This record gives sequence, C-alpha cells and structure tokens, in this order.
Amino acid sequence: MRPRLFSSRLTPTHRRIYRSVVVFFALIFLAMIWPVVTLFSHARPLVLGLPFFLFYLSVLLVGSFLVLLTLYLWEKRTGSSSDPGEGSF
Amino acid sequence: MTLGYLGISLGVGVWSGRKTSKGPEGYVAGDRALGFLVLYFILGASIFSAFAFLGGPGWAYSRGAAAFYILSYGTVGLVPWYFFGPRVARLGRKFGFVTQAELLSHRFQSKGLSAALAVISLIAFLPYLTLQMQGAGYVFNVVTEGRIPNWAGAAIAYGVVLIYVFRSGVMGVAWTNTLQGMFMMVLAWSLGLYLPWKLYGGVGAMFERLAETVPEMLRAPGLGADGAVWTWGGYSSAIIISVLGFSIWPHYFMKIFTARNERTLKRTVVFYPTFQIFLIPILFIGFAGILSYPGVRPSDAILPTILMSLDLPAVVIGLFCAGALAASMSTGDALLHAAGSILVRDFYRVLLRPDLSADQQTRLIRILVVVISAVAYYFAVMSKISLVALLLLSYGFIAQIFPVLLAALYWPRSTRPGVLAGLAAGCLVTTVWNLVPQLQWQEIHPGVWGVAANVLVMVVVSLATPPMDSEHVAQFVVD
Repeated sequence: MRPRLFSSRLTPTHRRIYRSVVVFFALIFLAMIWPVVTLFSHARPLVLGLPFFLFYLSVLLVGSFLVLLTLYLWEKRTGSSSDPGEGSF
Repeated sequence: MTLGYLGISLGVGVWSGRKTSKGPEGYVAGDRALGFLVLYFILGASIFSAFAFLGGPGWAYSRGAAAFYILSYGTVGLVPWYFFGPRVARLGRKFGFVTQAELLSHRFQSKGLSAALAVISLIAFLPYLTLQMQGAGYVFNVVTEGRIPNWAGAAIAYGVVLIYVFRSGVMGVAWTNTLQGMFMMVLAWSLGLYLPWKLYGGVGAMFERLAETVPEMLRAPGLGADGAVWTWGGYSSAIIISVLGFSIWPHYFMKIFTARNERTLKRTVVFYPTFQIFLIPILFIGFAGILSYPGVRPSDAILPTILMSLDLPAVVIGLFCAGALAASMSTGDALLHAAGSILVRDFYRVLLRPDLSADQQTRLIRILVVVISAVAYYFAVMSKISLVALLLLSYGFIAQIFPVLLAALYWPRSTRPGVLAGLAAGCLVTTVWNLVPQLQWQEIHPGVWGVAANVLVMVVVSLATPPMDSEHVAQFVVD
C-alpha cells in the first residue's frame, strides 16, 4: 500500500485536475506567508480604497473561492470526487 | 440607563437560550433556496464569536495589518475538509464514530491515543473558552460605563452557561439565536462601513489618512504586541499554525460525522470564505478607531467603546450586548459540550469505565461543563492576554492533531508508537517553547516548532517500528 492523496480509481485526467487544485491552494498558502507575501505587503497604492496588502489578500480570497466553487460545480455535473467510495453519498 | 441595557440583554439572552423544539432546520426542510440562506446564516452566526467581533477589531486597532492574518488562514483553512471530509464521514457511518478521537484511536488501535487526544483537546479548548468570557466582560464593562467590572461581566457569561446546563438547553440553532447572530453580523457590517464614512468621509479616505499618518499599521506584518513592527516569523507562523489547526477543531470535526451527504459538506467548505468577506468591514471598525479613539485599553474593547460614543438608542445597545453575549456563549457552549463529551467518551469511558450508561454519561458531562467553565472563568479574570493571542495559544495544541489525521488517512506505514511519540514530542515542544520565551526565534509560534518535532518523531518512530496490519489499515487509508 503506497501513500496516496487521491483514489487510484480516478482517471488520469481527473487526477491531474485534483492535483492542480491542491497545487493551487498550496500556492495560495505560500502567497500569504513569508517570503512571497513580502512582495505584496505595502500599504500603497490604495486600490478600491483599500491598502494594497488588503486588496491583495482579498484577491487571493476571491480567487480561492472561485476555484473551489468551480471544482464543486464540475463535480456536481460530472458526479466526480477525489475520493469516491461506497456509502451512498 | 445602563441597567436598562443590562436588563434588555439578559432578558433577550436568557429567552433566546431556551430550548426550542423547532429550530430553523426544521423549517428549512421544505424550501431549498430559503434553506440554504438560513443555513448560511446559521453557520455564520456560529462562526462569529468574541474572537471575530472583539478580538479582530482589537488587533486592527492596536496592531494594524497584523489582524489580516485572520483573513489569510480562513481562506485556505477549511479546504482539507473538501478532500478528507467525505472519507471521514464514510468511516464514521461504517464504524459508528461520534468523535474525532474515536476515528483516530480505531485507526491506530490505541486507547492511549484516545485519552491523549481528549486531554489535548481540553487544553486547546480552555483559552478559546476563556476568551469568550473575557470578551463578555469587556462588553458589559464598557456598556455600563465601567459600573460592571470585567470579572462580573465574565461571571454573567459563566452564569449563562450554568443556566443552559441546568435547563439542558443546547443553544444550538434556536431561531432567536440565529436572528441574534444575523443581527450581530449586520450590525458589525453596518458599523464597519458607517464609521469610516462618518469619521473620515469613506473607507478610502480613512485608509488614505492612515497611510499618511501611520503607514506601518497598514503595511504587513503590522505591529507586534510591544508596539514595534511585528516580525515576519510571527505573522507567517500565526497563519501556518492556524491553517494546520483549523480543520481539526474537534467540535467542528465531529460535525463531519453528521453531514447528510458529501454535497452538503463540500458546499460548506466552498462557501466558508464568504464569511471572511464579512470579516473585512468588522476590521474597518478597528482601523477607524486608531486616530479617532486613541488610548483605548484593553484594545479588544474598541468596538463597544466606539458603539457607546455614537449615541444610539438603548434598544440597539441592549441588543448588541445580547448579541455579543450570544455570539460568545454559543461558541462557548459548543466548546463546553464538546469538551465534556470528549472527556467522558474518549478519556473516562475508554480508559476507566466502558460500561458507563447514557444517563451517567450525560450527568458526568454536565458536571464537567460546570467545572471546565469555572476554570475558564478563573483564567478570564486573571488573564491580561489579548483575545486573539489566547486563540493562538489554543492553536498551538490543536494543530498537533493535524499530522495524526494526515497519517491516519494518507500514510499507511504510520504506526501506533509513531503517532503517540510524535504527539508527545509535539505537545512537549509546544509547551516548553510557550513557557520559555528565550527559546523563541523570530517570534515563530511555539506550535510550529511543535508540529515540526511531531512530524519528525512520528516518521522516525513509525519507520523504526513494525508496520500495522495492512488489512486493518486498508479500511482507513485512501487507496
């Protein structure tokens, strides 16, 4: 039994999709901490009235939301799951 | 006047706490669109506690951009549920799990693990509980213009707990409680937008002024507890530890076992970040206070302080008090019941008395709730730590469970000794780093060192011990 993140029963395309999502969120996470965050940490310029840093975090937030929403809707339409199993879900 | 506020808030608070047979969830069964909206607000109301309403603005007021760490961890914190949630729910149905410790102790075939997790959960719950009562103390103190000292305000919160316990009222999802939660969210949001407009002419104008006069408040990482610029280590590690711990909180984790289906669970995760959006205007309140209300101490009292200065009708103030109390105590209640259940089921019943009857369990849980909240009350009175710092303390311990969960579901080679040793190492390191400030480096959160030690020890010890039975492990691990 080797360690797996996703079910071995997934098609290669689906596995690629889930892997990309995980990578995306890992990147978002890294974008919020040192050192990447230091590139975006300034107050100016104000964007939409917000300090730049706050605007930056809001973009990450909205982006994350949209990606997961898209994944959810895709799963709903195709009936996919990263970890399908018996048990009537 | 101020007694009037108190009367209104206590009245509404106690009335809303009574156990109603028809929560909004019963109502919700029929209409799906309305159902989603109501459930959304129920979730929102349960998420917002003294931490969000008081602690958030408090940090924005005193530490500026440091408060944005809260926004950060909420963005990705629940995402792990999207991936491991369905499996956890499935395992729960298959084996009849009710608590997180049951899942983990079954996977690793260890009663000791169950007991250890129960103790760790309790240690993590305490500061979280303490901050709720401390927050209530601030609210009553400010709203009565100092007539009610903090310890008495916190005692009111404790008293509310006792009322719920003895009426066996789980605050749960009584309609009135949800309405209060919604009221608080609306109030905080309105205030968050109204104040910058009233004091500066708008949100943009406010941040413009702040950028001119105190730019270090708007620039990450904001200020540290001492008023000097915070370290990147402190800021980043606060995010790291919160992300690690967020999906693990036992009282939330348990809910996975009761999820109706995978869809509902995933939908919760998808929409959670929208509550982070609600948090942004709440933080504005703190920012608005920086130049206009200098010198407010403790800084966590900034929201009620500003509120009191606005000359609002007594009803609004009273409802705010009731709402703040409800927000604090609904989280507190969930924590207490979880703490009590976990200690009884996962510690006492597992180690000492497997034959405990349901009635005995309930009675024991009640006693524990009274005792645990008394301990939290004691700390609430003694503590001078900010509400946010208290929660960060909690996170250091709860995050130690994250490697155990990952190992349980994704690493077949992990073994019982490995997990136990890792957990012990993690908690030890976290405790020592908390108690001995000289060990700290770059203000990195003690829990982060703990998790590092945890993972290292778990891996080494697991590989050094014989693998667990593969058929047993195969039931749990992703294949």
